[in-house]
Amino acid sequence: MAYSDKVLDHYNHPRNVGSMDKSDSAVGTGMVGAPECGDVMKLQIKVNPLTGIIDDAKFKTFGCGSAIASSSLATEWLKGKTVDEALAIKNTDIVNELALPPVKIHCSVLAEDAIKAAITDYKVKQGADVAALAQAH
Amino acid sequence: MRLWNLIYRMNALPADYFAVFGISPQLALDLPELQRQFYVLSKQHHPDRFARASADEQRYALDFTSLLNDAWRVFRDPVARAEYVLKLLGYDTADSRTNTVPAELLEEVFELNMALEEARDGDSGARKQVAEALTHFTALRQDLDVERDRIFAAYDAAPADTHLETLRSLLNRRRYIDNLVRDAQQALS
Repeated sequence: MAYSDKVLDHYNHPRNVGSMDKSDSAVGTGMVGAPECGDVMKLQIKVNPLTGIIDDAKFKTFGCGSAIASSSLATEWLKGKTVDEALAIKNTDIVNELALPPVKIHCSVLAEDAIKAAITDYKVKQGADVAALAQAH
Repeated sequence: MRLWNLIYRMNALPADYFAVFGISPQLALDLPELQRQFYVLSKQHHPDRFARASADEQRYALDFTSLLNDAWRVFRDPVARAEYVLKLLGYDTADSRTNTVPAELLEEVFELNMALEEARDGDSGARKQVAEALTHFTALRQDLDVERDRIFAAYDAAPADTHLETLRSLLNRRRYIDNLVRDAQQALS
């Protein structure tokens, strides 16, 4: 199967590979996996507490070219978006941008799941912080 | 002769691998007995025996034999067999409803993949970590296989969806562990 040029570009030059401090309250971490191929994907966002905008996004994926490209593209799209805007990213957007074939659609689903998991983690942390703050006062 | 042809045309192939062997769907199989059956059926339906038969009979013998070979290949491997049964009953991995993997396992898989990457880059500390992980995951896989056989027996004795759900998540975990063992062995070789 031939990968599209965009997949190859992200695969050969992945954007935003790396990791951020998981314990940072401004950081949300999403770790997801696809057992049908054994892929595992970690995606993190760092949200500016004043603006609510995602300042930084990092990922590390162990999996096929499409899974790496999907998560690489996701981190590019996440930067500069608000959390709510980020939630609107759909796997079909990734499929269209990367021209993923039907057998690789699950890679884009994995990336969408990772975004949602990272945002959920961030929101839970914020909720926890609010509770801790209320208790302190 | 025309009637015979008609019967052959109506004689549809078995609907699934269990029907090929004439047994009811089950997870635990008596493999030596199944192998004997495999040889008997192979002989019975061998295409060479139908060299002078009608085109329909020849096609049936060929189709049955290829189905029989597929069935035996899947049944002799407990994991492939379990995947087959789960798929028949609607517990396919491709189904997102059933593809959850415990978070701790994902963390472990991720950490080991990081170590594998470092080991490939020649980090000796990472190599040691990979060797330890290989021992750990090989043992884990053995435990899962014991547990798998227990679920096989429990389901066959009293078919219940809960057994299938447990088996589905067990096989999901096993697939990750299988990949890790393979990658770790490769990194160390």
